[in-house]
Amino acid sequence: MTVFVIRRLMQSMAVLLVTAFVVFLGVYAIGDPVEMLISPDASPAERAQVIASLGLDQPLWQQFFTFAWNAIHGDLGRSFVFNRPTISLIFERLPATLELTFTALVIALAIGIPLGLISGLKPNSKTDEAIMTGSILGFSLPSFWQGMMLIMIFSVWLGWLPSTGRGELGSFLGLQSSLFSIDGLTHLILPAVNLCLFKLALVIRLTRTGVRETMPLDFVKFARAKGISERRIVFVHVLKNILIPLITVIGMELGSMLAFAVVTETIFAWPGIGKLLIDSIMRLDRPVVVAYLLVIVSLFILINFVVDILYSLIDPRVRLGDAQ
Amino acid sequence: MVRKSFFLATAASLLLAVTAANAANLIVGSSTEPSSIDPQFSRTGNNQNIAMQVFDRLLETDTTIGIHPALAVSWTNIDPLTWHVKLREGVKFHDGSPLTAEDVMFSLTRAKNIPNSPAPFSGNVASIDSMKALDDLTIEFKTKKPTPDFIEQVGFVYIVSKKAAETATIEDFNSGKAAIGTGAYKFTSWTPGDNVTLTRNDAFWGKAQDFDKVTIKFISNDASRVAALRSGSVDLIDAVPPGDVKTITATSGLQVYSIPSARLIYLALDTARDQSPFVTDKAGKPLEKNPLKDKKVRVALSQLINRQLIIDRILDGSGEAAGQLVPGGVAGNDESIEAAAYKPEEAKKALADAGYPEGFGITLHTSNDRFPGDSEVAQALGQMFARGGLKVNGVVAQPYNVYTKAASAQEFSAFIFSLGNSTPTSATGLRNLLMTNNKEAGTGSFNRTRYSDPVFDGMMNEAMAEFDPEQRIQLLQQATKYVFADMPVLPLYWQKVHWAGKANITYDANMTEDTSATLAKLVK
Repeated sequence: MTVFVIRRLMQSMAVLLVTAFVVFLGVYAIGDPVEMLISPDASPAERAQVIASLGLDQPLWQQFFTFAWNAIHGDLGRSFVFNRPTISLIFERLPATLELTFTALVIALAIGIPLGLISGLKPNSKTDEAIMTGSILGFSLPSFWQGMMLIMIFSVWLGWLPSTGRGELGSFLGLQSSLFSIDGLTHLILPAVNLCLFKLALVIRLTRTGVRETMPLDFVKFARAKGISERRIVFVHVLKNILIPLITVIGMELGSMLAFAVVTETIFAWPGIGKLLIDSIMRLDRPVVVAYLLVIVSLFILINFVVDILYSLIDPRVRLGDAQ
Repeated sequence: MVRKSFFLATAASLLLAVTAANAANLIVGSSTEPSSIDPQFSRTGNNQNIAMQVFDRLLETDTTIGIHPALAVSWTNIDPLTWHVKLREGVKFHDGSPLTAEDVMFSLTRAKNIPNSPAPFSGNVASIDSMKALDDLTIEFKTKKPTPDFIEQVGFVYIVSKKAAETATIEDFNSGKAAIGTGAYKFTSWTPGDNVTLTRNDAFWGKAQDFDKVTIKFISNDASRVAALRSGSVDLIDAVPPGDVKTITATSGLQVYSIPSARLIYLALDTARDQSPFVTDKAGKPLEKNPLKDKKVRVALSQLINRQLIIDRILDGSGEAAGQLVPGGVAGNDESIEAAAYKPEEAKKALADAGYPEGFGITLHTSNDRFPGDSEVAQALGQMFARGGLKVNGVVAQPYNVYTKAASAQEFSAFIFSLGNSTPTSATGLRNLLMTNNKEAGTGSFNRTRYSDPVFDGMMNEAMAEFDPEQRIQLLQQATKYVFADMPVLPLYWQKVHWAGKANITYDANMTEDTSATLAKLVK
């Protein structure tokens, strides 16, 4: 285990370094931030002043070196647009994205696994067909269109739920979140549903396939022969076995939901980090884009690490590479 | 039963209370978000929208960018280098302290030195050589050289409180600690990505405002912003997409406010170089001679464009055909210059006269996310040019952030761009767009095609040095007439901008595209 963790850490550092280099070069190749930032009636003197104050008059290698040197010391630069440390910009918006993503994930799992089990245990029944057809919708509706439809139906026509924003924040144990106030929760429902529908369909299908593959296996027959109740077979033995692929996929999806909930955040004007990224790319706020991607890569590394640990906990056959 | 009716009554009274409270509050759905609450940090539109509600300037503008006294009540030119500016009496900052000459001089000095400011006001105060308070409310300015439009320059810098801002960082402004202005509303809070909240300043020196509390929600997505208005969760939205104007107008309880803005959409042509990268002969080979250098060709191209058709079909009517830089109503506009009429036959003849009876090949470039319809307009232009006998080799659309860099680096031959005029006269726009690109002289900073005409430069210099305002405007009109006869760029249209609100709100649509609670009124 220790060896595994150390090796993983070293790999992670290498990944981060390469990412920083590639992203930095990539972001610096497109466009000229000065063109995006200055006011339309600026004089040449103002333009020169801006270029100098943002350090854009230096050669690329020097800009990268300054960035890397500061990054090693924990400083990921200041935003061109906001003139604030990029890290505080990102972490200020991270909670909004976290609560959105986790709510979506919980909905997807809480509804998806039971539906998948029902489908898998009674394949080709009417219920199974209904669930499977429904999940096709979840897969194939474009998130953007789906979000607009949710707003049209629930905000414009029915007037039940607010269409945009994060609403009032409640506080619980010192944490500020939409989850802790009624107003916040009503704001959260539509974006969370929009974000979860695709994952929901994915969970249903993965669970159903898993159940169908596992049910005919010998250990299930053996358990039945031993007289173990059907309930225990399904919820303990079968479920445990189908969790492995589910966790892998959910882990990956969680990362991408966190990093790229852009579409949902944009439609519902949710003040999360996905929206920050897309705005920063549009405005060529280079420091934010680079810092953001580094944070996200770190997050992916962390999630993968947790997923690996979970494997070993669920399936005792998985060893974390200590033996080699 | 009794309990039930009691419950209903309580619910009803609660509902009434909520409605009554809402009546004096305003919730705005805004397409843009400020990058800071420090009003001097960036002078781009998104920051000004918030700044102008909390802070004041020496001048304020009306809906057609005409100037009016705000914190300054008068400005007198003593000699070519000296100005006396008199400040308004009895103006108080939000913390109760009075506005004095010290605050104004501090603000104008501070504007030069905002750390890392991406769009500073330094140009507005560049002409100041020295300033001195003659008394608490009078300032004497000495300028470096004669500056006839001095007040139009310094008049647009936001005035902050010296006491609050002297040692303040950008964080102090964002948290509200230093956001102490003299404006109609007091700053309450900013939640980045979500909203800004303001409360009414009851001690405001100007007209009393209708709203107790203002919330500006940031909804950048067009469709979501419109949906938010239709669902009633916001009272007013800006940047209504042209395609939605009809639907909203037809919806009962909603109203649209429109004005042709001072934002000109134009087709820039590579007029300066002998060879142009995207101009070819009919077979696609590079041309020896750049036809765009020939005025006859440029005039012919302009005549090939059916501007009204573009406005009607692509922009749903949200435009006004343009033949010069600023629209009617803005000082410097010359009414005698009309948008070029659509005359395809004459244009073909003119092309033949100019030595291109068979036309030539050209590629058009455009952004695709800068303003409504930018890439569609380029496609339409391509078709119109093709109809006129040109061989359109392609219409290339790029995201704005990539596109601007290439356009400024002279990588294109013919490209669509926009210029938003936010100054009271056309002088700044003409100087930046059409005067010779010259860093030392401070001219032509957005002259991407490097067009240069010494006669026009001379006319502009004369106009900008003229102290008599009426004379100056006449000179600007003459320069405009002279330069647009040469077609350095092809003006296409002024973009119409729209706001939409609930029926109980009226809004002053304005050419500077400002979205501010001070421009909204409650219908009583």
